[in-house]
Amino acid sequence: MGKQHVVTMLPGEGTGPEICEAVRLVIDASGVDIKWEYEDIGLDCLEKYGTLLPDKTIQNIAKNKVALKGPTTTPIGTGHKSANVTLRKVFDLYANVRPAKLIPVLKRPWDKIDIINFRENTEDCYAAIEHMVSDEVAQCLKVITWPGSYRIADFAFKWAKANGRKKIFCVHKANIMKMTDGLFLDAFREVAKKYPDIESGDIIVDNCCMQLVRNPAQFDCLVLPNLYGDILTDLCAGLVGGLGFAPGANVGDGCAIFEAVHGSAPKYAGMKKVNPSAVLVSGIMMLRWLNEEAAAARIEKAMFAVLDERKHVTYDVGGTAKTDEYAQAIVDKMHAKA
Amino acid sequence: MPTFTETAKATKKKKEIKLVGIDMYIITDKGIPKFDDIGPFKCEFISNRGTKVWPGFVSPDLLQVNWYRCRFMATKDVQDADVNTFLDALTKKGWWWSAAQKLWNYDGEAGFSKAY
Repeated sequence: MGKQHVVTMLPGEGTGPEICEAVRLVIDASGVDIKWEYEDIGLDCLEKYGTLLPDKTIQNIAKNKVALKGPTTTPIGTGHKSANVTLRKVFDLYANVRPAKLIPVLKRPWDKIDIINFRENTEDCYAAIEHMVSDEVAQCLKVITWPGSYRIADFAFKWAKANGRKKIFCVHKANIMKMTDGLFLDAFREVAKKYPDIESGDIIVDNCCMQLVRNPAQFDCLVLPNLYGDILTDLCAGLVGGLGFAPGANVGDGCAIFEAVHGSAPKYAGMKKVNPSAVLVSGIMMLRWLNEEAAAARIEKAMFAVLDERKHVTYDVGGTAKTDEYAQAIVDKMHAKA
Repeated sequence: MPTFTETAKATKKKKEIKLVGIDMYIITDKGIPKFDDIGPFKCEFISNRGTKVWPGFVSPDLLQVNWYRCRFMATKDVQDADVNTFLDALTKKGWWWSAAQKLWNYDGEAGFSKAY
């Protein structure tokens, strides 16, 4: 074993704990040395701490600088702040990295999809600046800043270069929102000059949506402001088979949190029924972030093999395996190949 | 037969509107502003790009730009004229600001978002 990593584990609520246990089983069997530190987050914290995100959890993440997070749910119509949004704000996790890659076992009408979305995660209409400016008019401020736009573009180009990607497009609506999206695009173009080896361009968001469903293979990396990113990342997840296999990472200059983007499915809690793949592929992303490529590749290969055999897969991909049985099958596959 | 627009306008309900504060958008390169109370208005929080930067914990990694939203809440019943006085006082103190947004309660409910 190589270097030991200390990682904050945030199981979340609903099906989160059983998913995270399955994922831990697989990651621990991959040969990587991780010390997991468990912390609370989500609805279950409300009674105990009066908040969805306790200070103790924040302090632990601040110490370890890397976390793997299970699904959480934000209560609708209450005054509680979303734990996810608060995490992004507290740690300034400005880059939401959402790969969308075809998984062979999931039959889709396309031959190739391999897109990495880089969604700006802290600005735009998500700055929480909303007012009822009269009794019949509401407004939300769309906040786009030069440094916020510049750093997400720079992050994306750097990631692309490090991972051998060839092309990055900026997605915008600068033909209409000339100031805000115009600034985002200007910053992207400025950054692009630093990376002459990577092809860059831009595309208007509505056209991008149409092109994605017509010919997704033409796209490599996309850089998007927050709102378009929110929508298009789910669109891309849908193209490759849904949120059940969609990984995600929220990354800042000092911290990275890896998480599935699906909900906590509370109605299935305790039934060990749900597919843990989204958190598992997020864990694979985390391993690569930790420079543990060999372990990441080992898990990925074993997971694809188990999915391909269809003997020990969960109900959503046509099987009857429980969450932990699927995870154990991946572990067995890794050991069989070793 | 009324048009959809006419029907929509007819659904407007009368609401009781009460002035309760001001969001001030301050431009400064000197970091997070500090304010004493200004007349009947007290600074409750300051956010930057939507993230609260005062009071409380601020990540050293947090990107801050030179544009702060400073929320001043009224400590007693106030009128529009009090806002004019407040703006004059703020300007005389040397603060440069891009906009002011009055905060109202509508039928007792806040017509403005909280800060993260």
